[in-house]
Amino acid sequence: MKFLVSRLTIGNVIVGAIVIILVVLPVAGGPREWLLYLLLFFIYLAMANMWNLLAGYSGLISLCQPAFLGIAGYAVAMGTWVSIPWWLGIIGGAIIAGIFAILIAFPVFRLSGIYFAIGTLVVPEALRLLFFLWKPVGGELQGGGAGYIIKGLADVQMSTIYWTALGIAVASAVIMRIILNSRLGLGLAAIRDNERAAASCGVNTFRIKLYPFLISAVITGLAGAVFYVYQGYIEPSSTFNVKWTMIILLATVIGGLRTEGGPIIGTIIVVFLYFLLARYAGYSLLIQGVILIAIMLLSPQGIVGIMRNTRFYRAIFQLANRRLANAKTE
Amino acid sequence: MTDVGTLVSPIIMGILLGGLYALIALGLSMVFGVMRLINLAHGDLVILGSYIAFACMTYLGMDPILSLVIAIPVLFGIGFFIQQFLMSRAFAISAEAPLIIAFGIALIIQNTNQIMWTPLSRGLTTAYSLSSFHLGSYQFPLSYLLNFIAAVVVMLALREFLRRTYLGKAITAASQDRRAAQLMGINTKMIYGFAFAIAMICAAIAGIFLGMTFPFTPTSGIQFLIIAFGVVIIGGLGSIFGTFLGGIILGLVQTLTGFFFGPATQMLFIYVIVLVILAIRPKGLLGR
Amino acid sequence: MLKVRDIDVFHETFQALWNVSLDVRKGEMLALIGANTSGKSTLLDTISGLLHPTKGSIEFEGKDITKLDPYQIVELGITQVPEGRGIFPEMTALDNLVIGSYSRQARAKREQNLKKVYEHFPILEGRKKQTAKTLSGGEQQMLSIGRGLMADPKLMLLDEMSLGLAPIIVNELFKALREIRETGITILFVEQNVRRSIQEADRAYILENGRVTLSGTSAELCEEEQVKKAYFGITTAEICEEK
Repeated sequence: MKFLVSRLTIGNVIVGAIVIILVVLPVAGGPREWLLYLLLFFIYLAMANMWNLLAGYSGLISLCQPAFLGIAGYAVAMGTWVSIPWWLGIIGGAIIAGIFAILIAFPVFRLSGIYFAIGTLVVPEALRLLFFLWKPVGGELQGGGAGYIIKGLADVQMSTIYWTALGIAVASAVIMRIILNSRLGLGLAAIRDNERAAASCGVNTFRIKLYPFLISAVITGLAGAVFYVYQGYIEPSSTFNVKWTMIILLATVIGGLRTEGGPIIGTIIVVFLYFLLARYAGYSLLIQGVILIAIMLLSPQGIVGIMRNTRFYRAIFQLANRRLANAKTE
Repeated sequence: MTDVGTLVSPIIMGILLGGLYALIALGLSMVFGVMRLINLAHGDLVILGSYIAFACMTYLGMDPILSLVIAIPVLFGIGFFIQQFLMSRAFAISAEAPLIIAFGIALIIQNTNQIMWTPLSRGLTTAYSLSSFHLGSYQFPLSYLLNFIAAVVVMLALREFLRRTYLGKAITAASQDRRAAQLMGINTKMIYGFAFAIAMICAAIAGIFLGMTFPFTPTSGIQFLIIAFGVVIIGGLGSIFGTFLGGIILGLVQTLTGFFFGPATQMLFIYVIVLVILAIRPKGLLGR
Repeated sequence: MLKVRDIDVFHETFQALWNVSLDVRKGEMLALIGANTSGKSTLLDTISGLLHPTKGSIEFEGKDITKLDPYQIVELGITQVPEGRGIFPEMTALDNLVIGSYSRQARAKREQNLKKVYEHFPILEGRKKQTAKTLSGGEQQMLSIGRGLMADPKLMLLDEMSLGLAPIIVNELFKALREIRETGITILFVEQNVRRSIQEADRAYILENGRVTLSGTSAELCEEEQVKKAYFGITTAEICEEK
């Protein structure tokens, strides 16, 4: 208890309060549109956090995130065709995404930097073709380009999906915090700065890169599976699509790559953009591409990078870290 | 059992197709060789070349090959701009910045093509691109032969340019030792801009011949980026001859898998082969 | 000819040069002496425009060149023969020389300068079709110097020319330098070998930890107690006798 109290900073209390508000929102009668945008926010946030873990903290510019979310999505969808309930499918899908991550780690981890990026880019493209051809369940009329309907969702409430997504988003943030404060975080920093030197110091670079890759595959898979449960059907061309990579990349880069708060701020903006650009859907990728380039050139650390240099931010930061109870001053 | 005779046709088709693939990969290889940048937007820039020819054909009634007089300067300018104003700054920021910026460029081009031309599949069809030629008792599309000839011509021209002109030598020098090149009085920043621009000339030519061979959509870029990358991985980055060989190998893979397993699987095979080669020889099959 | 005035130069956050001043007079052979990391190479790179000083100025033949880019400085007639030779390994020896004449003023004199290079280093003519990386260490250094000459320079900067080469080859290189200087090209060379530098040069500067600690004509430096002390193992008498 004392340990908990000592951690009770103003910032943590505020974050806790926000989470509680988000949890009760569906019961308190929040408008359906709000819930929808928040749902998207949770899903994107979980994915952006995981991409930040890879690209920001581990130096792995992965362009295969659609593979993880798509595989998990397909697992849920195909599962419901053989009477596996959707919630079990989500878990199973995430595990399959994790296993898939381990399998592709063998070829792609032999590549570094730019080669890694291209190597991972191939993966979702190959999967898209595969799922166009492969029709394991549902006979000739289902699957392939037509995709699958996810069955047995008739009595699933919107709020259930919402809470699941919220849980995954919170979990992704907590996992980030734990990793960054652990030995793994230290090892990752060492590898990012100089892989060869880290290897010669006895760091098992393969294993240490595999952990974040695996974790990101599982969490991205969970988030993707929830998304497809919400959407109700899945088909290959929009699933294994660079648009997903774009959303994830944009959320991380706008907010601030290699900053803990970056993905949260970035995801808020991406969802907001989605809302704003809904009328100009045709131009949305164009505008996002321009924003991506502009942010990268003008402020490589994103919005968090800009804010860090302002006095206001520092003041808020100090306030947020002030302890509520003067338990013990270290 | 397949009769050996029936294999002749896919083999010749594969070699001819390899010319087109080498042509597509040439610009990617050059940008990597000189700037050490994998241009994620390369496929989309090639497709942009196809669309420019399509526009010239639709509005001006120009022959696709003739439309090179427009496509080449446009892509030259775009290439120079990308290097000079975006990439040269990105390199100073971080290792991932050039990649992320190239990704942004790719999406901008894709979306622009989509706005201008809708997501429908297009092609550069002319009287001669649909006709065919005979070789013994076999029949082949004429466009495949044109691709191959274009590839050989462009590669020889590029090789002579790099060997004989001051600009070409400066590009070679800057790719081997940037610091020493600067000390020789070479304005490396400008040279990088020209290298990117020249790579985009290759992309423009590739785009037009691609458009005469295959249908394309605004999102075809990624498919041809992966093919180009596969070619370069097989042939070794920065070598013109290796690129040619890589193209032919990949062309053969495509036509032979198409022959044995049906056309639906041929791209899947190419992707798997690219991944397998990456796993065995991360720095390329023929690379140093 | 070249006036370096009170420059400070940083590598990122590390200050490599402190308030350094240096003069090069037309037609002379000047040595810049110092241990590793004393800042000699940094000074050459700053003159060449690869690095820019945060304070102070550099003037060449009355023109301020402090903020110019390397290629502009080459066009004005300053060429650097980089340390570790810096040849283009995959190009032929001839192409290496040709690329040396890249800058505007040098292109017109290409054939003429090429002839001069072959006069100084006859061995290069026989090697011209060979890939540069297949040449021996000494030949590579000759190629690098020859490439510098192709830029038609007024002032030639040489960075650690003798590094890793056998004494007999070093002798040959210094002989070539003396000949080059006879043709009217001013030379500033960087060396670690104190004795050799003072022998060969008219004047010398000594750099320590990024500062000029001593300068003067070779004769003056022979007399300096500090040189004796700083570079143990060598008595001034010995150096001056050889001179």
